[in-house]
Amino acid sequence: MLLAKALRSSTFKFALVSIAVFGAVVIALFGYVYWSTAAYVLGQTDSAIAAERGSLHRAYESSGHGGLVAAIEQRLADRRFDGFYLLADPSYSVIAGNLSQWPSMLKESGEGWSQFNSDAPKPDASADRVLLRARYETLPDGFHLLVAKDIGDARRFMNGIYGVLAFTVLFVFLLAAVASVSVTRRTVGRIESINATSRAIMESGLGRRIPLRGTHDEWDQLARNLNSMLERIEGLMGEVKQVTDNVAHDLRTPLMRMRGRLEKASIGRREAEGDQSLISAAIADLDDVLRMFSSLTRISQIEAANRTAAFRTVDLAEVAAEVVELFDAAAEDKGGHIRVVDGEPVLVSADRDLLFDAMANLVDNAIKHGRAAGEVTVAVGRNDGGAVIAVADDGPGIPADEHLHVFRRFYRLERSRGTPGNGLGLSLVAAVARLHCARIDMFDNAPGLRVELHFPSAAEYPERGQGIANEGVAP
Amino acid sequence: MTGARRRILVIEDDPETAEQLVDFLETRGYATDLAADGNEGLRLAQSAPYAVIVIDRMLPGIDGIAVIRRLREAGTVTPALIVSALGEVDDRVRGLRAGGDDYLVKPFAFVELLARVEALARRSATVVKETVLRVGDLELDLVSRTVNRGGRAVELLPREFQVLEYLVRNEGHVVPRAMLLEHVWDLHFDPTTNIIDVYVGRVRRKVDSEQAYPLIHTIRGVGFCVRAPR
Repeated sequence: MLLAKALRSSTFKFALVSIAVFGAVVIALFGYVYWSTAAYVLGQTDSAIAAERGSLHRAYESSGHGGLVAAIEQRLADRRFDGFYLLADPSYSVIAGNLSQWPSMLKESGEGWSQFNSDAPKPDASADRVLLRARYETLPDGFHLLVAKDIGDARRFMNGIYGVLAFTVLFVFLLAAVASVSVTRRTVGRIESINATSRAIMESGLGRRIPLRGTHDEWDQLARNLNSMLERIEGLMGEVKQVTDNVAHDLRTPLMRMRGRLEKASIGRREAEGDQSLISAAIADLDDVLRMFSSLTRISQIEAANRTAAFRTVDLAEVAAEVVELFDAAAEDKGGHIRVVDGEPVLVSADRDLLFDAMANLVDNAIKHGRAAGEVTVAVGRNDGGAVIAVADDGPGIPADEHLHVFRRFYRLERSRGTPGNGLGLSLVAAVARLHCARIDMFDNAPGLRVELHFPSAAEYPERGQGIANEGVAP
Repeated sequence: MTGARRRILVIEDDPETAEQLVDFLETRGYATDLAADGNEGLRLAQSAPYAVIVIDRMLPGIDGIAVIRRLREAGTVTPALIVSALGEVDDRVRGLRAGGDDYLVKPFAFVELLARVEALARRSATVVKETVLRVGDLELDLVSRTVNRGGRAVELLPREFQVLEYLVRNEGHVVPRAMLLEHVWDLHFDPTTNIIDVYVGRVRRKVDSEQAYPLIHTIRGVGFCVRAPR
């Protein structure tokens, strides 16, 4: 079964192709080594034979037939020579030499090179037939001369090399086969464990995680990344559920009120003034619901896509001045005042509408939850190359352990339950911050709360979307 | 105002919404034609002159944006108000780029729709270049950017002047908050706070306090209106 699985595996197919290519290269390489070694060894023999023939020719030229026979005799008597010689007359009868007869297949063929087995005794008197490489020719006077060497050793040497090479190729193939099978099994095994977890997740929910082996290799890395992705998805699902619950709760309250009013109107007698006030109240409630609804969809829209198409170069100081000017009247109504600190131009790439909305929410919060007759400041500046907006009030502030929660949708501090609002303002600020890859920090302004929006410096900007993975919310 | 000046084409596929729209516009003195799908709307829009076309974004047949694009390609310049149940953020841009002139997200108050329709209808009428605007005893000098009421100067910040100017230019018509925010601040979102009311409140204090009669009126749930007593 594993074999069938292995054959389907793309890793295994890839291994097979690799082995085929690798094997072909090894065979070609070894073939070349074998061929060039053989050529070298034979070349040595051939040049020795040529040298012998040369000196015999010289003897023949200087002293004719007699000299040639004498030279051959002398070589045969000398143990240092291991060659074979044969001089035959035109009718191939042996005149001198240590071969018993002229090889029959060399008759009639003039001159050339040849290889043949002979039962002539070896010079060192060891028995057996010998393999000879011979140069044969017909002398000008019609006699035949043959000079040969025993190449049995060379042949055995070449056979030995051939055996070693063949064995090596076989061994390499075997090794590659074992390696590819084990790599395939390992790969298929790890993928199978990831697949099994995926199936389990599809069947039973997001609680499962891919087991790690602790090897810190790329498989563990993949498993870790998939696991953190699962964690993120699980977290988001939890948030969605939380939000759904909150929406249900916050919608039910005004809807219930509306239903009550309409029911009262439908049961009661028609009466112009009472009906009018019931209808007005119902419309006001409905408007609340719709406003909350559009805030929610707006936040989801900002969060869903990387809406960077509307990004332009925006001067934060200018936006801050406009927000402050817009809220000046509201702060005055509460007896306090609002001002911009340090109005130097600070340019960022941003969506002006969203930025204005986010700043307006922060300032609105600062006025609403700050001290009555207090002061709200909006500061714009640069810090470590990145732009910073800080909105501060001198009111009661927010306890440090609540800092993280206030960005959650519908979250409201206990003491703000009485003030108008739906708990979505800071969620919108957080969504806008994430879109701009900005970080939100909250500090105790002693007294009051200071909220800072830190934009990444130009150098950190290209990785847009990266900041969305790690929420830019830190206490 | 007769004929084409008071004739509005409504292209809306939901029968109940369409009926409400038509009823409301007719009580305000407009004549209306109704088309239930994009093709019919396209045909009607090209067959007669209208002051304004109110068109739903999602329609059976061809959708609202395609209808407007075809009208513009065919050279029909009747102002179009796109009404959509889709989210405002990206869709708005797409609608305006296709040749729509204004955009309103469902659900909306009919008064707001009327305000926008009237603004578009006025726009299709002739635009007069004026240097001084007058309502009752209020006078806005658009060149020197100064305001006086009954001969006494009213000190306004530049932005407050813009707010007043926009309201006065739309004298007698309701200006919804979102329209004010769009035209004075160039912002395209619906503020969840009452900040515009507070801001206009301050303008009103400067303009209307200690005067014979108020000029700036708040229309509850919608916006503001500048009107002199007759």
